[in-house]
Amino acid sequence: MKLAFVVQRYGLDIAGGAEYHCRLVAEHMARHAEVEVLTTCAADYLTWANHYPEGLEVLNGIPVRRFKVKRPRDPGAFADWTDRVFRASHDPADELRWLEEQGPFSPRLVRHVARHRDDHDLFIFFSYRYYPTYHGLAAVRDKALLVPTCEEDGIYRLSIFPPLFRVPRAIVYNSVEERALIETVSDNQDVPGDVVGVGSALPEALDAEGFRRRSGLTGTYALYVGRIDENKGCRQLFEFFRRYRAETGSRLQLALIGKAVIEIPPDAGIVHLGFLSDEEKWNALAACDLLVMPSRLESLSMVTLEAWWAQRPVLVNGKCEVLRGQTRRANAGLYYTSYEEFREALALLESDAVLRSHLGKNGRKYFDSHYTWDIVESKYLSLIARASQIARAPDAGPARSKGDAASVS
Amino acid sequence: MTFEIKSDDVDVDAIMRMIRKRIEEKKQGLYTDEEIREIAEHRLDAVLDAHEFNSDFISDFRSQPGRWNYHFGPETIYRSSRGGVGGILEGIRRVLRPLQKLFWNPNPMIAALSRQSDLNTYYVHLLHNLAVEITRLNLEVQDLKNRNLQLQGRLEFQARREKTLEEMVVYREDSGVKAGGGGKPGAGGGGAAGNEPA
Repeated sequence: MKLAFVVQRYGLDIAGGAEYHCRLVAEHMARHAEVEVLTTCAADYLTWANHYPEGLEVLNGIPVRRFKVKRPRDPGAFADWTDRVFRASHDPADELRWLEEQGPFSPRLVRHVARHRDDHDLFIFFSYRYYPTYHGLAAVRDKALLVPTCEEDGIYRLSIFPPLFRVPRAIVYNSVEERALIETVSDNQDVPGDVVGVGSALPEALDAEGFRRRSGLTGTYALYVGRIDENKGCRQLFEFFRRYRAETGSRLQLALIGKAVIEIPPDAGIVHLGFLSDEEKWNALAACDLLVMPSRLESLSMVTLEAWWAQRPVLVNGKCEVLRGQTRRANAGLYYTSYEEFREALALLESDAVLRSHLGKNGRKYFDSHYTWDIVESKYLSLIARASQIARAPDAGPARSKGDAASVS
Repeated sequence: MTFEIKSDDVDVDAIMRMIRKRIEEKKQGLYTDEEIREIAEHRLDAVLDAHEFNSDFISDFRSQPGRWNYHFGPETIYRSSRGGVGGILEGIRRVLRPLQKLFWNPNPMIAALSRQSDLNTYYVHLLHNLAVEITRLNLEVQDLKNRNLQLQGRLEFQARREKTLEEMVVYREDSGVKAGGGGKPGAGGGGAAGNEPA
C-alpha cells in the first residue's frame, strides 16, 4: 500500500502541533506501508517563506517531496481578509481568498497531488484549515483521509469548511470533542471516522533527579511546556500564578519550557528554562509536580498526554472543551475556568501529594489504554482499510451520496 | 481543604464540585468581576429582548460587527466582491481613480463614514460599559442595603441588651441594699459586722 501524507510544513526542527503529529504518524505508518510526504518549502508558520530547498529529501527514512510557496504571507492583507471574513458580510469567494492569504499558498503542491493521484492508494491530509488540504483534498476526494486537527477558534464555521468535512473517505479525529464539533457543523456522521489522536516518542529512561540538579529547581514546581504565547493562554497563566503566590504565600515555582513569544514577567516564582531537547523535556516532566496547560484552543495536547505517561497530574484550562473532556475522562487532573478555581485547584494539587500521585497513575492508565503506538497504528490501519474499500467504489462514498462534494472546488 | 482519597478512587468531578462549593462559601455573596459582567449582560439582554433585539446582542456585535455596523476604509468604495472578475474591476477602478477625482472629491465622505463607523463601535461599547457599571453600582447598593439592615438589626439587639443589662444592674443594686446592709464589697464590712451587738 502506498500512502501520501500532505501537510503544510514538515521537518525535524518543526515543533508545531499538527506538523509534528503528522511526522510521528508518517514515521510509524512506514512500518505498514510505503509512505511519502508531500509538503511545502516553508518552515515559518507566520510567513510561510520558502526555507527548505524544493525537491526530494529523506528524513528519518521517509521520502519528503517539497514544493515552493508561490508567495509568502502578507500580514497586512491577511489581517484585512481575516477582518472581512470574520467580521463583515461576505461570500464564499472571500473565504477562498482568505485561505490563499493565510497560506501556505502552494498551487504546485496541489497540482502535484492531482497529477499523481494514481501513484498512491490514499492521501492523508493534515489540518483542514490550510490551502494544500482544502484544494488537495478536493483533487483526490475519493482517495482522501483527513486529520482535521480542528480547534474551537471558529474557523471551521466559515461556509467553505463544512462541505469539506463531508468529502473525505474517512476522518481521523483527535478527540471526542473535536468529532462532536465537526459533526455538529457539517452533519457528516456518515463519513467513517474514529477518535485516534497520536502516540509519543517515549524515552528509554527518565532522570528526574539529574534534571532538578541541572535546572536548580529544588522545591515543588508546576511545569508549562510549549510556545510561550498569549494565544496559548500564557499571559493569563502568569497573572493567575503571581496572584496565587501573593495571596496564598505559596513557594510553588512555575517552570517554563519553550520559545518565548511574549515577555515573561520578572518574578522569583517563574523560571524560564528556554528550549530544551526532547530528552530533557521528558526529564522535566518526570521531575515536576504537575503540568499546567492554560491554552483555550487545543485539538489535542500532546504534552498533556506525555505528562500522563510520566504519571504527572495536570491543571488545564477548563474553557477548552477538549482539555476539560480528556481530563475528566482520564480522571487525571483538575481544571479551572476562573481565577478562583485556579487558586483552589492549584492549592489542592500543591498541598496533596497523595492526590497528585493518584491522578498521575490514572493518567498513565488512560495513556496506556488509548495512546500507545500499537493502538494508534491499529486504528489508522482500520480506517485506511475502510477508506480503501470506499475508494475502490467511489460512487458509494458518503460525500457523493449527499451530493455536496461539488461544493468544494 | 482536604479530600479523602480512597486508593484509586479519585473522582475529578467530585473534587471540582467541592472546589466550587468552597469558592461559594468563601465568596459569601460577593461577586467576581466576571460574574458582574455576566449579570450585566443578562440585564442588558432583558432590555434588548423587550425591543426585539438579539438576546446575545453584545457578543453578537463583537463577533459580527458587519451585521450591526459597517467597516469603511479608504479602499471600500473601490472594492468588488466578484472574485476573479472583481480583481479586474478593482484594477480598472484604480486606474480611473485620478480621473473621477476631477469630478468630485470622495475623501471627506470616506473620512466621515469611516469615523462614523468607529464612533458606532465606541458608542455600543460605551453603552455596554455603562450598563456593566450601573449593574455593579446596583449590586453595591443592594449589598450596602443588606449590610445596613444587618447593622440596624445588630444595633437594635445591642440596644435591647443594654437596656436589659441596665435593668439587671438596677435590680442587683436594689437586692444588694436589702442583703448587704449598705456595706460596699471589700470595705471592711466584717468589722462593721463585728460592731454589731451580740
